[in-house]
Amino acid sequence: MRKALGLIYLLAALVTVACLWEYFNKGGVVNFVSPANLRNVLTWVGLFGILSLGQAIVIITGGIDLSVGSVVALIGITTAVLFSQGYPPALVLPGVLLLAAAIGAFHGALVTKARMQPFIVTLCGLFFYRGVARYIAQDTTQGFGTEYTALKWFGRGYIPTESSLLPAPFAVFLALAAAVGVYLHLTPQGRRLFALGANEEAARFSGIRTDRLKILAYALCTTLAAFGGLLFAFKVNSLGPGDFGNFYELYAVAGAVLGGCSLRGGSGNVLGVVIGASLIMVLRNLVNILEIPSELEYVVIGGAILIGVFADQWMSRRREMGGAGAA
Amino acid sequence: MRVLVGMGCVFAALLAGCTPSGQPGSEGADGADSGKLRLAFVTNNASDFWKIAEAGTTKAAEELGCDVLFRIPSRGTAEEQQSIVQDLIVSGVKGIAISPKDPQNQIEMLNEAAAQVHLVTQDSDAPESDRACYIGTNNFDAGVAAGELIKEALPEGGRIMLFVGSLDAQNAQDRKRGIEQALAGSNITIVDTRTDETDRSKAIANVQDTLVTHPDVGCLVGLWSYNGPAILNAVRDSGKLGQVKIVCFDEEEETLQGVQDGHIFGTIVQQPFKFGYESVKLLYEMAQGDFSRVPPEKTIYIDTVKVTQENVDAFWQRLKELTGKA
Repeated sequence: MRKALGLIYLLAALVTVACLWEYFNKGGVVNFVSPANLRNVLTWVGLFGILSLGQAIVIITGGIDLSVGSVVALIGITTAVLFSQGYPPALVLPGVLLLAAAIGAFHGALVTKARMQPFIVTLCGLFFYRGVARYIAQDTTQGFGTEYTALKWFGRGYIPTESSLLPAPFAVFLALAAAVGVYLHLTPQGRRLFALGANEEAARFSGIRTDRLKILAYALCTTLAAFGGLLFAFKVNSLGPGDFGNFYELYAVAGAVLGGCSLRGGSGNVLGVVIGASLIMVLRNLVNILEIPSELEYVVIGGAILIGVFADQWMSRRREMGGAGAA
Repeated sequence: MRVLVGMGCVFAALLAGCTPSGQPGSEGADGADSGKLRLAFVTNNASDFWKIAEAGTTKAAEELGCDVLFRIPSRGTAEEQQSIVQDLIVSGVKGIAISPKDPQNQIEMLNEAAAQVHLVTQDSDAPESDRACYIGTNNFDAGVAAGELIKEALPEGGRIMLFVGSLDAQNAQDRKRGIEQALAGSNITIVDTRTDETDRSKAIANVQDTLVTHPDVGCLVGLWSYNGPAILNAVRDSGKLGQVKIVCFDEEEETLQGVQDGHIFGTIVQQPFKFGYESVKLLYEMAQGDFSRVPPEKTIYIDTVKVTQENVDAFWQRLKELTGKA
């Protein structure tokens, strides 16, 4: 929780600096906190945040899922293709989520039963599902045309009315974050997940069925990725099989890591992930709002993550050395 | 282990279940008919644009009785194109038409290929390489055409913003220069060009952010095919349809729908069908030792077409026939 608090300060500081910069450079106009911009940023936070939530679960077990971007593409494109062939959403949507869960369970099984490394398993997934998505789409752009407006609302609508400030994907993200938070932090199984990540052997010796738990973690991750992928698809509507979802796994990892999840496993919390994912999208948005050249976008994001993680390490080390007094 | 195999089967079954039927028949004839001349067509990424070009290559191949291998680099990188070209040469094709991703830095690779097979560039040129000919749009002229369209859209003048995947492709640079030239002396100013590295969600975000930072912007211009739908998407979500004009390039379905609905002022389309058709025809002739159609300046330009609400219906109908979506 302390970690999340530090992140909130970081986010607040970033927003303040951005607003001040805009205020003084644009003669008193602060676009960053304008309703239109907040609607935009919150939408992207919601969409990318869902991917980070899933990624966080796997990272907490000490693993990583690099296939997230390709799963986003596979699920989005499969859905679009099936819709265009006339299959009803009531059949397709549960079907693709189930497919995603099966993919995740497959990853988990390879990691546990076949003792393969998560990095390799999911790296292969990254290539494999991208290829499958391109094959299914026959390398043509897929979309939902002008139909399915009710479903598209989940990706691009606002609550309660179209002119409100709360984007539907952000609301979905918050609801999912709450669910994942309760699962990870308040249920016995969630705590076992942390124990497994911190020390798998110890967890196994204390009677935790580690394999089953890990498989579940990977299945949850890809299911969340698929869920995010559907929302992305409804939002973007023009799905290029070669590029839809490219790099999204790295945004997901960045959000989770910036949010305080250690790649060594065993630590992390959902509030941190929510704020970590927000930070990254705010940075992406600031590049445009502050009119920084597009070329420098990755410089800003990469630099900010590095500084964020470094500051976090430094503070936690000071805390350890200084004992309770320094906190 | 049984679990793994089971899951694999489930996945394979699902995969087989949702594969669309009706594969285009231009590929897959590798080596089946060894007497036939084999040519190759290499794109710079995967998009509908290339589906139309593929229809052109297929038509030429049928007319001439040769085989055409149509290759699409999935990540659209220069390094991927290099390995595709090398593989094609090894597999014994006699001619290659390629759209180089990064012409300046691919000259060595192109020269190496040109030393072994007949090489033409299409869509995007590498004038300093040893390629025999370039077939494609004069992107500078296409930019000028777009500039004229922008002037029609903003008769009173105003501020405009450009959007593109990246500015390192020659066609993006040429289009931009063409627009700048056409707008020179008018009271229309270009505020900035935002790039998105072909990430479509980023393309939408760029437009959204522009509408926030420059609420007075009069016209949004998309230089690459997916920028049109991305702009339309963002303008619609921001509730500014009709308030800002949109001018774009190419003929994605959503773009044409936007033109038809009156939300997009107009789009400048190339004729990728002719890229494919002419490339194959020229390579075929070269392989027979006939270089008569290669002009001294080694450039064959294919005209662009201006699509506005007036001619969109007829254009779209023809397009559907070409791509088999009718």
